[in-house]
Amino acid sequence: MADSDTQPCGQPLIELHGLAKMYEAGGVRIAALRPTDLTVRRGAFLTVMGPSGSGKSTLLNLFGLLIRPTSGIYRLEGRTVSDLNDDATSAVRCGLIGMVFQSFNLLSHLTILENVCVPMQYAGIPHTRMRKRAKALLAQLGLEDRYGSRPTQLSGGQCQRVAIARALANDPSVILADEPTGNLDEKTGQEVLSIFQELHRSGKTIIMVTHNPVYRQYATQAVKIHDGEVTEE
Amino acid sequence: MRPVEMVLTVYASLTRHLIRSLLATLGIVLGIAAVVAMLAIGEGGRREAMRQIEAQGVDNIILRSVKPVEGDAQQSTRSFTQRYGITQRDVEHIRNVFENIRLLVPVMDTRRDIFVGQQTTDIEAVATTPEFLEVTRCRLVDRRSRFLKLTDGQVLDPVCVVGIKAARRLFAHLDPFAQTVVIGNVSFRVVGLMESPVGGRLAGQYELDNVICLPIETARSLWGGIRVQMRRGIAEQVDYDFLFLSTKETHAIPGTAGRLRAYLRSAHTQTDYEVQVPYELLQSAQKTQRIFTIVMTSIAAISLLVGGIGIMNIMLANIFERTREIGVRRALGARKRDILFQFLAESVLLTSIGGGLGAGLGIVTAAVAETVSRMGGDAGLKAVVTPESLVVALVVSVITGITFGTHPAWKAAQLDPLTALRHE
Repeated sequence: MADSDTQPCGQPLIELHGLAKMYEAGGVRIAALRPTDLTVRRGAFLTVMGPSGSGKSTLLNLFGLLIRPTSGIYRLEGRTVSDLNDDATSAVRCGLIGMVFQSFNLLSHLTILENVCVPMQYAGIPHTRMRKRAKALLAQLGLEDRYGSRPTQLSGGQCQRVAIARALANDPSVILADEPTGNLDEKTGQEVLSIFQELHRSGKTIIMVTHNPVYRQYATQAVKIHDGEVTEE
Repeated sequence: MRPVEMVLTVYASLTRHLIRSLLATLGIVLGIAAVVAMLAIGEGGRREAMRQIEAQGVDNIILRSVKPVEGDAQQSTRSFTQRYGITQRDVEHIRNVFENIRLLVPVMDTRRDIFVGQQTTDIEAVATTPEFLEVTRCRLVDRRSRFLKLTDGQVLDPVCVVGIKAARRLFAHLDPFAQTVVIGNVSFRVVGLMESPVGGRLAGQYELDNVICLPIETARSLWGGIRVQMRRGIAEQVDYDFLFLSTKETHAIPGTAGRLRAYLRSAHTQTDYEVQVPYELLQSAQKTQRIFTIVMTSIAAISLLVGGIGIMNIMLANIFERTREIGVRRALGARKRDILFQFLAESVLLTSIGGGLGAGLGIVTAAVAETVSRMGGDAGLKAVVTPESLVVALVVSVITGITFGTHPAWKAAQLDPLTALRHE
């Protein structure tokens, strides 16, 4: 599929102003992400590419508020979220951000329905409504006959679909995907990617970290990272 | 997170490793079981002790004649009569001097065998006064029953009142009121049946339900004022075997008992008496109970400390094993306190389950101990599980869960989300 399939992008959703992340190792300061200015508009499909260790995951973790920036400002939906306290950060992660991991990160002791419910539990959604929405999401992703299955009973592609359903549970503003096809074969990877495309078409903002340059063609926006330096294509 | 979701999450986590979860509670189960069982046995023992003490009458002071040891014995070489115990002089002195005494009831053991057919029995015939019924907390059984009256003694009527156990043995299915009892070759007409509702004993000795009472004056007229029994050529003389003193005011009992002991020490040259004060025994039993409670609490504390450390260990191991899960939950929006409460709830649920199972095991253990102790046919132990002990067990379990679960839960909550996510 080409860019022509995508929705036109709207107002800025994410704004980075001089956002940087430094680490100290053995008294030496290492720039995992050099000061970056970047704007991601609502409805965009952004791919982040770069070699291993270039800082892709650092950027994604900053987007996901899993780490705090050393300097700079991160605005999400017009609100500065880079200096929030832990509770407020959790609330933003819960309500505005959906995460999809390379290794799925499903909770193996829960059924897939319960896995999809997890983010909704933290959003305080009532039990019945929560299960109804989880079922709808799983059905939308073709897993309507597997509600009671455990992740260990599913294939990699099915697991990633559950993870996507989980990411969509609280209807977030942005979906962050960290190499979502990295653990899948090519065919399954393509299926998963088509789900992201579908989500994008429906208006979701997606930020995807990937190694695969082929996926660039599906994006409305792309950045490359090299040694922590972000360059927009 | 809503409470219902918290419960479901905790349930799912604990049932993930059911056997491990149950094993983790083992320390708490055994600790609580030991506490509940020992409290039950202790409570049974306490109640039995209280019952026995109260059966003697808390407001009573009981004097008992005791045969002195050989070297102590005062013996008249002329008469070869060994005289000991409570005397008529003692009775008169107490009646005249001790103002706190409301009732004074002398009791003489007739030392006469009671026969059923040709067989002697352990039924005791005692001679006493009409107030005996009141001081021993006995009651009459049949509507036709009456106790001894003053006039019985005045007219030397050979009547008797029979304890229900003695009556069953003596008369079986016959109507006791149409019967007589032969005591020392004299037939006594049965005028009443009595029973001790609490299964009391006469001064802790004879079972009251197995006693026959007859008027003291009648007994004296028949066998003289002196009970004599030949043993190795020596006669024994005892005026009264027991003397029941019922007091007017319970709080004055210790003082009265002290004065009584002082009087007896001065009036008797040998230790041929014993003073039983149920009120003092009651206080002593209560003190013993307090000590028992302290010991129990200490044992419980040690058991629960051990159990609690076990729970903490398991929770720490759980958290290490589930670090990635914590990372995932944090990445999906869990706050630190959601993680804290989740693991704290797991810990509390574990200890509560342990407490519940322990309480059940404790009840069973107490029941088994009671059954085993009664196998020989003796009275044995009595276990009483009080609702309070169960509530205490469960509350202590919850507190243990909170105490020993807080550190692991706090540690889990403090994990950095990203570090936790990357945990292998």
